[in-house]
Amino acid sequence: MNYAELHCFSNFTFLTGASHPHELAERALALGYRALAITDACSVAGIPRACQALKGSPVALITGSYFQLEPTTPDMTPARVILLARTRLGYSQLCRLITTARRRAPKGRYQLLPEDLENHALDHCLCLWLPPAPEQAGFANARRTGEWLLGLFPERLWLAASRTLASGEEQTIQRIRALSLQLERPVVATGNVHMHCRQRQPLQDVLTAIRHNTCLEQAGHHLFQNGERYLRPLPVLKRLFPEAWLEETLIIADQCGFRPSELRYEYPSELVPPGKTPASWLQELTRQGEQRRFPAGTPLPVQALIRKELALIHEMQYEHYFLTIHDIVSFARSQGILCQGRGSAANSAVCYCLGITEVDPRQVELLFERFISKDRGEPPDIDVDFEHERREEVIQYIYQRYGRERAALAATVIRYRPRSAIRDVGKALGFDPAQVEQLLNGIDWRDRETDWRGQILDKGLTRHERVANQFFTLVNTLLGFPRHLSQHVGGFVIGSGPLADLVPTENAAMKDRTVIQWDKDDLESLGLMKVDVLALGMLTAIRKALALIPGENGQPLTLQEIPREDDETYGMLQTGDSIGVFQVESRAQINMLPRLKPEKFYDLVIEVAIVRPGPIQGDMVHPYLKRKHGLEEVSYPNEEVRGVLERTLGVPIFQEQVIKLAMVAAGFTAGEADRLRRAMAAWKSHGDLTPFRDKLINGMLAKGHSEDFAERLYQQICGFGGYGFPESHSASFALLVYVSAWLKRHHPAAFYCGLLNSQPMGFYSPSQLIQDARRHDVVVLPADVNHSQWDYTLEGPQQHLRVGLRQIKGLNRQSAEALCQQRPSGGYRNIRELRQLTALPQRDLELLAGANALETISGHRHQSYWQLLGHEAAAPLWVSDTDDDPGYLAEGDNTDLPAPSEGQNILADFASQGLSLQRHPMALLREQGQLRNCLNAEQLKTAEPNRPVQVAGLVTGRQRPGSASGVTFVTLEDEFGNINVVVWLNTARQQRKPLLTSRLLHVKGIVEREGDIVHVMAGKLTDLSHLISTLPVGSRDFQ
Amino acid sequence: MIWLYLHFRHLLLDHVARSRQDPSPLAVLSHGTRQVIQACPRARQLGVHPGTALKTALNLAPELVMVHADDTRQAGILEQQAHWLYRYMDRITLYPPDGLLAEAGSVQRLYDGLEPLQKQLQQALEERQLNASLTTGPTPLSARLLARAGMQCCTGETSQMHRQLEALPLPHAGFDDRTLQRLTRLGLTTLGQVFHLPAVELARRLTPETLAYVQRLQGQRPDPQTSWRPPHYFRQRADFGLPVEKAQGLLFALQRMLSELESDLQWRQQDTDSLLLILHHYRREPSRLRVRTTGPEHRAEAFINLLRIRLEQHPLQAPVETLELKVTRFLDRQATSHTDLLGETTDQGEAWHTLVSRLQARLGESALQHLAPAADHRPERAWSARSLTAGPHHHSKGSDQLPLRPLWLLPQPTPLEATPEAWLGGPERISGGWWDGARVLRDYYIARLPSGQLAWVYRDDQQSWFVHGWFG
Repeated sequence: MNYAELHCFSNFTFLTGASHPHELAERALALGYRALAITDACSVAGIPRACQALKGSPVALITGSYFQLEPTTPDMTPARVILLARTRLGYSQLCRLITTARRRAPKGRYQLLPEDLENHALDHCLCLWLPPAPEQAGFANARRTGEWLLGLFPERLWLAASRTLASGEEQTIQRIRALSLQLERPVVATGNVHMHCRQRQPLQDVLTAIRHNTCLEQAGHHLFQNGERYLRPLPVLKRLFPEAWLEETLIIADQCGFRPSELRYEYPSELVPPGKTPASWLQELTRQGEQRRFPAGTPLPVQALIRKELALIHEMQYEHYFLTIHDIVSFARSQGILCQGRGSAANSAVCYCLGITEVDPRQVELLFERFISKDRGEPPDIDVDFEHERREEVIQYIYQRYGRERAALAATVIRYRPRSAIRDVGKALGFDPAQVEQLLNGIDWRDRETDWRGQILDKGLTRHERVANQFFTLVNTLLGFPRHLSQHVGGFVIGSGPLADLVPTENAAMKDRTVIQWDKDDLESLGLMKVDVLALGMLTAIRKALALIPGENGQPLTLQEIPREDDETYGMLQTGDSIGVFQVESRAQINMLPRLKPEKFYDLVIEVAIVRPGPIQGDMVHPYLKRKHGLEEVSYPNEEVRGVLERTLGVPIFQEQVIKLAMVAAGFTAGEADRLRRAMAAWKSHGDLTPFRDKLINGMLAKGHSEDFAERLYQQICGFGGYGFPESHSASFALLVYVSAWLKRHHPAAFYCGLLNSQPMGFYSPSQLIQDARRHDVVVLPADVNHSQWDYTLEGPQQHLRVGLRQIKGLNRQSAEALCQQRPSGGYRNIRELRQLTALPQRDLELLAGANALETISGHRHQSYWQLLGHEAAAPLWVSDTDDDPGYLAEGDNTDLPAPSEGQNILADFASQGLSLQRHPMALLREQGQLRNCLNAEQLKTAEPNRPVQVAGLVTGRQRPGSASGVTFVTLEDEFGNINVVVWLNTARQQRKPLLTSRLLHVKGIVEREGDIVHVMAGKLTDLSHLISTLPVGSRDFQ
Repeated sequence: MIWLYLHFRHLLLDHVARSRQDPSPLAVLSHGTRQVIQACPRARQLGVHPGTALKTALNLAPELVMVHADDTRQAGILEQQAHWLYRYMDRITLYPPDGLLAEAGSVQRLYDGLEPLQKQLQQALEERQLNASLTTGPTPLSARLLARAGMQCCTGETSQMHRQLEALPLPHAGFDDRTLQRLTRLGLTTLGQVFHLPAVELARRLTPETLAYVQRLQGQRPDPQTSWRPPHYFRQRADFGLPVEKAQGLLFALQRMLSELESDLQWRQQDTDSLLLILHHYRREPSRLRVRTTGPEHRAEAFINLLRIRLEQHPLQAPVETLELKVTRFLDRQATSHTDLLGETTDQGEAWHTLVSRLQARLGESALQHLAPAADHRPERAWSARSLTAGPHHHSKGSDQLPLRPLWLLPQPTPLEATPEAWLGGPERISGGWWDGARVLRDYYIARLPSGQLAWVYRDDQQSWFVHGWFG
């Protein structure tokens, strides 16, 4: 006797199935089933993982899907069927049906109408009908449904019977027998499986409660009566079902010859012109690119590199992949959209020639082979960043080039993380939501000493040990469970034929967006090609800045024209002057720059990667800095290690190096190293690295490395988990670091203008950017109805930066543009003219007045506003009994409004634009004598170290980085710049209130200095927020 | 006319706090935004203010006790205050969720002026552990604004009231957001500056409604108020932030409620002989305790003694979140007998109600119950006895979809002693209840015993057999 399970939900039937696909697969194998069908509700999302788990096993994986049809009349019980793919064609038919049902319903749901079964070709699918129980529908009713299905699936219809030992089951079985006799179709045994083993019943109950948004105690009959919906051992099945019914499962399984592993992906073919092979075409394009990149002739080493790379690409048959990316990038270039590739294959000589990357192979000696692994047989990975404001154009191009049929976004499976799992399980167990919130808030997720489980126990969530144990077990099991499908940030799948034959698509949350049912990892395991089309704000800013700088031939400057290795640019970065510069503008990076002192491109590659949890946790930063500055000898344990670490002076910095080290220093095989890489990527959500720990450390000890080094390397691997930063990405980012730094150094006005016109992006607010611009001698002019455009602009030969109307909160863009278009050459003379020429809505005019942009035509902001209000369309006549003055239609009246004070102006500016060109509020307070004894940011730079000081400023940042144990970094802003304050854990605990609530903070502390970096180690914190309201204004909030 | 306004800054909090003995900081939390909307003085000391995000609040005060905002609950509490204020003044208007307005001009002579009245009220509030700012104003609106702005000033001096009003910062002046924004953009900061704008300009440049509002504020336009009338019952609630587990813990709050009752009865010049105590639990039917005195009574002391005995006899069924005291039966102090309305039953439909009411009055409310199905797979929990007053319970299954169960379910399963003669149905497997400590794992069968009885028997996971019920 044997068995095939044909009705089985995985956890990709969200909040219903209580086991992972691989758990089901492994269990079916252990029980000796001949076949297993994964039949998630209107989905095939669980198939790739089950397929992966059953690779090479004797259990046949059948692809199917469960559907509950919409009832045709409201009182009818909805029909439930399972469709199984008999052949590859049947699989396509199933995918198309799923797509229809999913596309009709909002995200996450489906709607299958009876006529869908009639209209779709389903002749290569088998149908298992789940007849309704007697209490759900009358016999005649059920029979009608059966006859209808039989008409659609003649010879391919079975009646599914399951035995879950629920009450009333005997009647249902009797009915199925009767229906079987009348319809003359056989009955087949099914398990109605929701979990791989019975022990999952509690989790299944919890999922049910979550699905019904209730707690277990209230879930009542929503819960199953027992835990029998699991993969049952053969002897049990034999007891429960007649022999013939079990036999029937095998008959069906044998008919279902389709295996997901036979899905073949075909690259789009139209990119190769007729008469060419993909290889010859790629070669030709590369040669064309060579001539553009190296007008003086390609240097010999680069030529050799290109030959080698092309040979490898050919061997792996990746030509189509490179051609596809080239096509997308060429489109972007033709539209003037800036882009830059990164990732394992992006920084190669071929990609440089194809224009996919700007990283010059001569500049960084990157070995292409390092990035494509021949053994793994996985597709190469190139991510391309585009200007964030124009990425949509690229996406539309892809749709248009390949058709919506053939191009679709990949999904991202959103999974349970500790927070969401605790929240949902807590709710199901009936904990008070506020208490769960309190608990979650009390957990320090970065506390590596005691993980969250320990912390919860300490907090005493519940007095009952039983409940606590259940809680932990459930949360732990739930971790990593898929919750829903979401849209991938930009991963496109492009096929040679309609994707609907390959995988179903469903609606995403965004309007008119659809995603396929598989995520990135599934695509990888099925060998599908994915192209990442990502959005990057800095590219927008760079393009906008370049457009303001004339290049050689009068055209705007191009990236290629920017001189490489400019000393002044590096000089600026070495002082930590990097606000607005890509990637190195954070507080931590600003502090690292003067220590690392980048002086060449490769230093930037390291700079980008070094301020990350990996190197910091692995304690690799200090050794690297010491070696870089010659304070420590650079040495290598052996030649193999030297090969891996030479470019970073013997200290592993990049993810690739760590993986490679595991191979050369600890004897990992390529396969093991690859598993390590995957585990690192998954570590944060659900992975576990401990299995690798012993192997790594023992392997390294065996090869003669010190235990200390081995332990640090392991720590670094842990730190990389989730934030892995590879060299291949770092190199591409470093290029943008260099370009943006060069712009800042040589064309500051254009640089800030580009940044401000690309907001929101980056670390700093427009206010902070403008203050920085002024510190770099850029003259900033206020928003003005007669001078401003929508965007920030540069005015005159002096390149003064004019605030754009875009900065005015709430102002309609069309209105602003109309205002600029209609503007007379001499400017608007008064409000009346402005109103007549532009017909701007009152609301927009008021916003302009509020921003003081009308000052030049109608006096100070209060008076402008008063005038504006007088023009509003006449309100319904309202007769005043106190005033009979008939002159109310006159434009002006005698009401004189008070002129704004400086403080009022500052606050009004902030309210309307989030920034002010008036004096800094701190300057006013200082003038009032409120901040006696406080050093300002400028004075602090030269303050003597290790001496007590007092500082004060507006709080612009509070950070508790995961890599710094318990330290809070506070950034204070005054009229001269930023002040860095370091608050140790104990100080923070004792002074929570001022630390967490101050908007204006006073700090007594000790100056600490390391080179050019100055910190104040906080002692006493005082909240001075009340001073803000002493600015001569009303009591409105500042900022 | 002079109006007095009482603004309760954190009514819900005060209300919760006075029922608690533990001094932890308290905050009321809004539902959607996870923001603090009321904070007690101790929480404010720690930096928790209205508007603080929950996350920040918990960082500032990890021991913070949170109370969920509940408008209907707060409205009820406000009405209690109106009840109390009604003893002093009679033209009262409710301004939910946190204010009471009363006309003070006509009663000031009774109290020798406004200041003594204010003192008396403040003192009474203190005794009742409530915080409110009391302010007078020349118009209802002005009294309300001044009180909400935190001014504590009771005076009959019109000029002084006007000065205060003029100095009021605009954000406190009760304008809608848009109007406030406009006035601020004009550089105006106080209400006085708005008063000085020409009325016609105000109507034209702002809105006619704005002018109307300003005129109501200044008393240049009528602003009629709807007076509140006290209902004919007494009702008090005490909410505990953390559930109270022992009856002893209820007495503290009861004491206060009963002395309120005493004052109320005093004021009514009536007695009562029947108290209803409702104990609300988390996710459970509330328990109801009806206490009857032997004769008409109004002294808190007498009531508390009765209740103490009653609570000692009946241990709490579950921790109590809220305690409610209700009195609906009032007896005139001289009255000898009350007309028994129940004696005059005329129609059939009322006969049932009459019977129920009489039985309830005789036996106590909780002694009378009816049966209902409950949504649970475990047979012993698949039914419930409910009090008649509880509304019909929502049930997830229709009665035709309920599983086959014997009508006679034994209170306790008894071991099966005889080997059944015939097996007529089963197995039906039931496993569940792992979450509440009453886990079952059983296979049920219908069996005919040698005695001829039709039994519902089961085998548990220890392989022991039990009879759980009898079929007819």
